[in-house]
Amino acid sequence: MRIHVDYDRCESHGLCTEQAPRLFSLDDDAELTYHAEGSDVPADQQALARAAIASCPVAVLRESS
Amino acid sequence: MTRPGAVVIVGESIAGLTAARELRARGYDGTITMVGREPEGAYARPPLSKDVLRDAAAEPGLAYPCADLDLQHVRSPAVALDCPARTVTTEDGRAVSYDALLVATGAAARRLAAPGQRGELVLRTLADARAIRERMDLAASVVVVGAGFLGMEVASAAVARGMEVTVIDTEPPLRRLLGPYLSGRLAARAAAAGVRTHQVAGPVGLVGDPVDGVALPDGRTLTADLVVTCAGDVPAVDWLSGTPLANPAGIAIDERCSTSLPGVFAAGDVARLGPPSDRGTGRTPFWSSAVAQGKVAAASMLGQESPLLPIDDYFWTEVLGLSVKVAGPLPPDGGPTSVEGDVDAGDALLRWDRPGLPTTVVAFGRKVPVGRLRAIARDGDTTTEEKP
Repeated sequence: MRIHVDYDRCESHGLCTEQAPRLFSLDDDAELTYHAEGSDVPADQQALARAAIASCPVAVLRESS
Repeated sequence: MTRPGAVVIVGESIAGLTAARELRARGYDGTITMVGREPEGAYARPPLSKDVLRDAAAEPGLAYPCADLDLQHVRSPAVALDCPARTVTTEDGRAVSYDALLVATGAAARRLAAPGQRGELVLRTLADARAIRERMDLAASVVVVGAGFLGMEVASAAVARGMEVTVIDTEPPLRRLLGPYLSGRLAARAAAAGVRTHQVAGPVGLVGDPVDGVALPDGRTLTADLVVTCAGDVPAVDWLSGTPLANPAGIAIDERCSTSLPGVFAAGDVARLGPPSDRGTGRTPFWSSAVAQGKVAAASMLGQESPLLPIDDYFWTEVLGLSVKVAGPLPPDGGPTSVEGDVDAGDALLRWDRPGLPTTVVAFGRKVPVGRLRAIARDGDTTTEEKP
């Protein structure tokens, strides 16, 4: 499982960081960092990752294979 | 309650989908049936009044993945609830049995058209957004009825598309939700962008069949290529008629999202925690509140305790390209007690601190993480350099 982040449309609501804090964080300027960029989501993080995808109010997170 | 044999969730909403995900996360491996009216399944609604009105290319990104949740889908509207028999009947004639039921049917747009009057445009669903966008493709002017956050978002999209925009309301823009200070600032911003706001003394009516104008209380009529009604929402309880839940003010829930009926829970825009009210303790039809309530409802359906409160008053809107994010009680009265940054430049953090009460905090065009806003609203903030 991989996640594609559409950074251009991200509005930094940060709800994903509350669902999956090991995968997503906001820096001091509230810019999103996705910590598994370019690699597979670890198996023990996949359920949280999907919850994060579902929590995004602007739907900028997408599961890709 | 013991573990339910069958869970039915009515409404492919964010509240409904969040509940389904939380049920699985809590280890429930029984049947979950999602009953929904949208042929395309669950999708994100906040972008409908923003990106989707401007660009069809925004549509494919809206769908919510739920293939991993092993859900049974019934894509037909629920039309009746039989509580003694514990079944939900759908428009296509199915009877779906439940041990635990979550009502997450959301709200519908409040309409102003007279009976039989055609062509009223509202914005609540993807189909609504498509219809308005396609009309905007051909229109040069729009009248928006309602200067709440939805009305101002539609106005913002129309301005971005180069249209002549008039917004009508009995109150100044966003006044009911955001209070006098923010209303004044945002009204000035809208005016500078060319939006005309028209404050009227009482209710307006729609004229034309199909609708092509608005009748004002002073007897005049405003016409435009496009008229969009953004006059609030009504909880979607029609299908519950004949049950104690069919309250037009919303389904009363407690802090576990339980209703007055055994085995029936409610969450999201359809639900109301506390007495009917326009503000504070009544319905909180916000995204984050729907997410919070979906989670609490899932725990309750399994007979488990939830550590979460079923209300989350994080809210945001976008006015003429300026993002406004709010946490804490609404509307804030008077002016802010502290201002960090530059309000005129659209880059500020505003606080309304009141002794003994939760703080209202607003990120006005400034990117501030929701966690920090919630922390400020909850217990004041220790990281800000601003003195209270």
